[in-house]
Amino acid sequence: MHRLLLTFVCGLMLLGRSSRAEPPPADPAFDERVAPVLIRRCIGCHSGADPKGGLDLSRKDAALAGGESGVSIQPGDAEGSLLWQRVRDGDMPPKEALSAEEQQTLEAWIDRGAPWGTDPLDPFRFTTEQRAGYDWWSLQPLQPAPLPRVNNAAWLNDPIDAFVLGRLEQAGLAPSPQADRKTLIRRLSFDLLGLPPSPEAVAAFEADDRPDAYERLVDQLLASPQYGVRWGRAWLDVARFGESQGFERDKLRENAWPYRDWVIDAWNADMAYDEFIRLQLAGDVLRSGDPSAIVATGFLVAGPYDEVGQKQQSAAMRAVVRQDELEDYVSTVGESFLGLTVHCARCHDHKFDPIFQREYYQLAAALEGVTHGERRLAYLEQERRRKHVEAEIAALRRQLGELDHRVRERILSSTDTPAAEPPPTPLARWSFEGNTADALGVLDATLHGGARLESGGLTLNGRGAYAASAPLAKDLRAKTLEAWVRLDDLNQSGGGVLSVQTLDGAVFDAIVFGERDPGQWMAGSDSFRRSQSFAAPPETEAAQRLVHVALVYEEDGTITGYREGQPYGQSYRSSGPVVFAAGKSQVVFGLRHAPPGGNRLLHGAIAAAQLYDRALTAEEVARSAAAGESVTEERLLAAMTVEERAQRDVWAEQLETLTAKLPPLQSQEVYTVASMSPGPSHVLLRGNPATPSEPVKPGGIAALVGVSPEFGLSGEASDAARRMQLAEWIASPQNPLTARVMVNRLWHYHFGVGLVDTPSDFGFSGGRPSHPELLDYLAREFIASDWSIKQLQRKIVISSTYRQASRRQEAAYAQDANNRLLWRKTPQRLDAEALRDAILAAAGELNESLGGPGFRDFTTYVHNTQFYTMQDPIGSEYNRRSVYRTWVRSARSRFLDVFDCPDPSTKTPKRAVTVTPLQALSLLNNVFVLRMSDRMADRVRREAGEDVEQQVERAFQWVYARSPTQEEKQTIAPFVKSHGLSEFCRVLMNSNEFLYVE
Amino acid sequence: MDRLNRSEWSSGLLDRRQWFTWTKYGLGGAALAALLAQEGRVAAAPVPGQAEDLPPHHAPRAKRAIHICLTGGLSQVDSFDYKPALEKFHGKTLSSEEKPDVFFGKVGLLRKNDWAFHQHGASGLWISDLFPHLARMADELTVIRSMVADTSNHTPATFQENTGFRLNGFPVLGAWLSFGMGCETDELPAYVVIPDARGVPAGGSINWTNGFLPAQHQGVVIRSQGTPIDDLFPAQARTATTEQASRGLLDALNRRHLADHGEEDELAARIRSYQLAAKMQMAVPDVARLDDETQTTHDLYGLHGEKTGDFGRACLLTRRLLERGVRFVQLFAGGAFGSPRINWDGHENMVANHGQEAARIDQPVAALLKDLRQRGMLDDTLVLFTSEFGRTPFTQADSDQLGEGRDHNQYGFSVWLAGAGLKHGMAYGATDEIGWKSVEKPVPWPDFHATVLHLLGIDHERLTYYHNGIQRRLTNVHGHVIHDLLA
Repeated sequence: MHRLLLTFVCGLMLLGRSSRAEPPPADPAFDERVAPVLIRRCIGCHSGADPKGGLDLSRKDAALAGGESGVSIQPGDAEGSLLWQRVRDGDMPPKEALSAEEQQTLEAWIDRGAPWGTDPLDPFRFTTEQRAGYDWWSLQPLQPAPLPRVNNAAWLNDPIDAFVLGRLEQAGLAPSPQADRKTLIRRLSFDLLGLPPSPEAVAAFEADDRPDAYERLVDQLLASPQYGVRWGRAWLDVARFGESQGFERDKLRENAWPYRDWVIDAWNADMAYDEFIRLQLAGDVLRSGDPSAIVATGFLVAGPYDEVGQKQQSAAMRAVVRQDELEDYVSTVGESFLGLTVHCARCHDHKFDPIFQREYYQLAAALEGVTHGERRLAYLEQERRRKHVEAEIAALRRQLGELDHRVRERILSSTDTPAAEPPPTPLARWSFEGNTADALGVLDATLHGGARLESGGLTLNGRGAYAASAPLAKDLRAKTLEAWVRLDDLNQSGGGVLSVQTLDGAVFDAIVFGERDPGQWMAGSDSFRRSQSFAAPPETEAAQRLVHVALVYEEDGTITGYREGQPYGQSYRSSGPVVFAAGKSQVVFGLRHAPPGGNRLLHGAIAAAQLYDRALTAEEVARSAAAGESVTEERLLAAMTVEERAQRDVWAEQLETLTAKLPPLQSQEVYTVASMSPGPSHVLLRGNPATPSEPVKPGGIAALVGVSPEFGLSGEASDAARRMQLAEWIASPQNPLTARVMVNRLWHYHFGVGLVDTPSDFGFSGGRPSHPELLDYLAREFIASDWSIKQLQRKIVISSTYRQASRRQEAAYAQDANNRLLWRKTPQRLDAEALRDAILAAAGELNESLGGPGFRDFTTYVHNTQFYTMQDPIGSEYNRRSVYRTWVRSARSRFLDVFDCPDPSTKTPKRAVTVTPLQALSLLNNVFVLRMSDRMADRVRREAGEDVEQQVERAFQWVYARSPTQEEKQTIAPFVKSHGLSEFCRVLMNSNEFLYVE
Repeated sequence: MDRLNRSEWSSGLLDRRQWFTWTKYGLGGAALAALLAQEGRVAAAPVPGQAEDLPPHHAPRAKRAIHICLTGGLSQVDSFDYKPALEKFHGKTLSSEEKPDVFFGKVGLLRKNDWAFHQHGASGLWISDLFPHLARMADELTVIRSMVADTSNHTPATFQENTGFRLNGFPVLGAWLSFGMGCETDELPAYVVIPDARGVPAGGSINWTNGFLPAQHQGVVIRSQGTPIDDLFPAQARTATTEQASRGLLDALNRRHLADHGEEDELAARIRSYQLAAKMQMAVPDVARLDDETQTTHDLYGLHGEKTGDFGRACLLTRRLLERGVRFVQLFAGGAFGSPRINWDGHENMVANHGQEAARIDQPVAALLKDLRQRGMLDDTLVLFTSEFGRTPFTQADSDQLGEGRDHNQYGFSVWLAGAGLKHGMAYGATDEIGWKSVEKPVPWPDFHATVLHLLGIDHERLTYYHNGIQRRLTNVHGHVIHDLLA
């Protein structure tokens, strides 16, 4: 009764009003109650350029004007309003009717005269069933979360585990038990390095009963330079890194590789992630004098470039190509750092996320000064400076050397050593006093991989530094190796002090520290052929002072160790001696044997070394040790006058300063960002450069809570200012997406699935976090640790969650087949590169050298377009890790491709894992696999001898990191006897246990 | 079964030495049969990356398709789009308000068609003497004369022709079909590519990329001469006994591993992939054995003709692939750009260039249509014959010169379809008086793609794959099925 009357009255009022063409008054209640209903439930379809039924409910005028079916709102008369009729009858919205409350709100609103509030409605105000709004989870600031309470607190090893276990317990599930040590080391090794563990490493880890053995292993792996190789590749996927132009010409980019090296170096150095972002976006303008910062911007231009399109005659088409280029930058920046598909707003407001078309063009404007180019880095000025510094360094070294020499002579002449006989005369002597010359012969050495000469002698960083001599001038059989050495770390394992080796490193005799027996000196040799334990006490002093070590190799194969001039443990009879042929052998320092890598490098310093072409007697070794003591720094310093010592300190300090100042070695053409002066930017209607609309200034996206989209720049701002602001906006700890996206990316690689399973899309179309509190916890920790990636990864891999076994538990599987709750560690197939690298490693053919131009598994010619013919090149340089391939877009490696190596033109945050018969054919038949099967058989034979069961044992260790069972041995031995060891290696390389990491 | 029992695989069209080695020392049919007999011990596992909203979305008209890609740009006014007015304007300046915005920027005088046009078949379709054999198949063709592309730059235009996008990194039609439809056989790949015998097109494998789709949907190159596909057999020969023992041992190791791991789907799928590989090892040499065909068939395809041999082999191989269940075969007629020209990019001299190219493919393509028709296969096979764009009716020369070559034309060009579900012997749409721009019912690539997918039982809006925030489609946000073409 009442309502009817009211309607009638309102209708009259409205009639009167509309006849005077006066709009209904603005109404705050509309914003609070009505707008949310319209935004959430109606304007998903009824707004925009082409609203459904021609009815646009997002703007007052349009809403009141109605659509194709006529006027839809009769203000004051809900019953007479088409809109209300359709809603009441359940026709609209088509999928799910409005709630009674929502219906009432609309009805009452129309009856009240349909007063409007803020106009137009902001479609992004709320998240709806069709799209994300400003309240979308990933756009909100990081939330601190209390650790969930759990029942099984004993399981927790890191706060991560509390979040995981909390969810599991809620679901009534239990975590899996911890995996065994063999599984753990294989998992960690592939995960952190992309390489299998050596049998020795597995054995050492199994034998390590220290409580923190696992943590030590993690730290050791994180410190390996191969870590950056593995993780750099992951970032290159995200960065769509390719080394050719793509499109028609696909011209080879000869100089794109420095960016790849920069990425790997950044991961190895644990560069703070915010810095990692800044340098890739704006390194060239932030640090214009720093070549590595300029190289970093290779990120922006790592994608394809339409050379022909950019040069075509038609200006209109060129403009389209340039817009496509900008979209490539915007999409890469948006997806990689923010997990936002900003580029979807190029033609219209984003359909799913709260990103306006204008904001796309604001970001494009921030990158408007960017294009592809090449720059020559390390300028002439730098080269001149470098030469100057080098000359200063040489002069200082000479002065220091002369001073030390003078003092040494003084010590020796005043010594009242009773020993009547002089020390024996070596074949070669290296005193490493300012030079690497052989003081007695022709075996001058050269420095490699960052080895340096300092006052303590040859200084070795354990990561790549070593020295190598010229080839031997005469054959060597019986011999004595002698060195004065200091170690930086008594826990290191496998580094060589002094080694005589064939030039390829295949055969060697070396003074090695801690390779088999922790802390002990050993006579290292190829595959331990001539190695046995001296069963001596572990070294305890070499970290504090120089220690004298010598190995004597006699004609009958006997090898005797000496330390400080005294016999070291038990001597033994080996199968030696080996002949090291003149011209084909050499001496290396700090390296067990070539090639450098693995655990072969020594961390410490060698003060002096001597090589004898005969076996010294015990007395001779003792005399030499006594005489050599004079080279110790302590004695030298003790014998100096106060003035001399002061002078020496000054020079040493100068030397250090100068060495640190040494500019980079050489200039290098680098494919990187060419900076242009940006022109004006506009919103382009439908993304078309022929229809520019309102002008825009560089800026960000308003929907990100915590960071201002306002860059404070005018439309005329320089390229430098634009990109610096962009970098700051993204790399801000207040940016809600940056840290979340990166920690999730890391989690994705460690577990195979991210907490958000779409690592480059945190928007509406992407996945929702399986553990939102954990995600925010990790993001906050990440920022709190100054964006340290290694620290975050250490946390992750040390967690109990990560250490779980991967066997399927049927109950948990039935409930959560995809393991989103993390009740086990899902087995992961080796990715394409890890598979190839693991095959090389198992075959003993992996060349672990780092950096520099990539290898090319193709030949190329130019016939207008550049063409690439795939090849199967043989040789150590092609056996480098797969990341060092030259990644031409049209020269994809068939072998890597079938194992889901992505098209380098696509941004790939997540690789597919497919199983196909073409993979089977490749792994069975590809020439590379067959060749490596042969090489692996050679190695296994070398290491295990002729006994077939031993061979099977060794092969299993290399490929599966475990020993075969008795039953397996019995099955396999007859196979090996009939079909050969190589064939068996081929089978192993095809097997699931090899391809999957538990 | 018949195929399994064959003991000799030698073929005149394959590298004899290789085949000799293989059949003498390699894995024989019996060994393979033994491997295949193991099948069934592992349940088929779902292949990761298969489409969720699986086609068919409606009753398909065609089950399989052939895509003949003419690289470089076929001249519509010299082939399928007859413009009598051009004879009138021959040697005259284009009278247009608008200065043509052409790729090389040179707009010479108008040039009439270099090949005479005639009406053919019952349909009376106009086809020029450039394609005399194809002309006899006029009543099979459904010609679209109003195609438009977004660019006149070869490679982006080719990307658009194949992927719907102008950029690198998107999956091609064949990859989408492999993804959406899978294969009718598990012995051969779903999507096969046969490049021009003279060389691959510019961009090489970019032209058959899976883009962001899983790698298994990348086109597999099968050569009509030499080794048909890579890594089909061991790079170093093995005896059949060894091969069989190795595969047996591998199978045993894998099954034991599987038993230890609670029947993981992926591990089981890998075991099965080795059985499928064995099937491919049987099927691929068999399909490539063109010698099995009769002399009449050889002659029909021009297998022994000097100019027609290459493409004839490709077309015949195509038919054999389709017969055995391959879903999509893409043939390239034309290699890379540059000089000497080995594709349709007739900038300098149309007569020489198009004459040379057409002579290579005319008879083989006509033979393929005829052969498919005779075998009843055209009833459920779709044939596509396209070029990334057309050529200008005016010559590429100075403004007062009548040149002999034509520049790229994105605004109007012709393609044709044949086979299942189409109205045959018709032409759709029209260009303007001189054949420069589409003026009647223009067809952009997404409409063409939507129509092709429709014929194959696929709703182009429902064949999607999530990549970086978007449910991607072959047709992006565009595409309308051209119902006027459908029977």
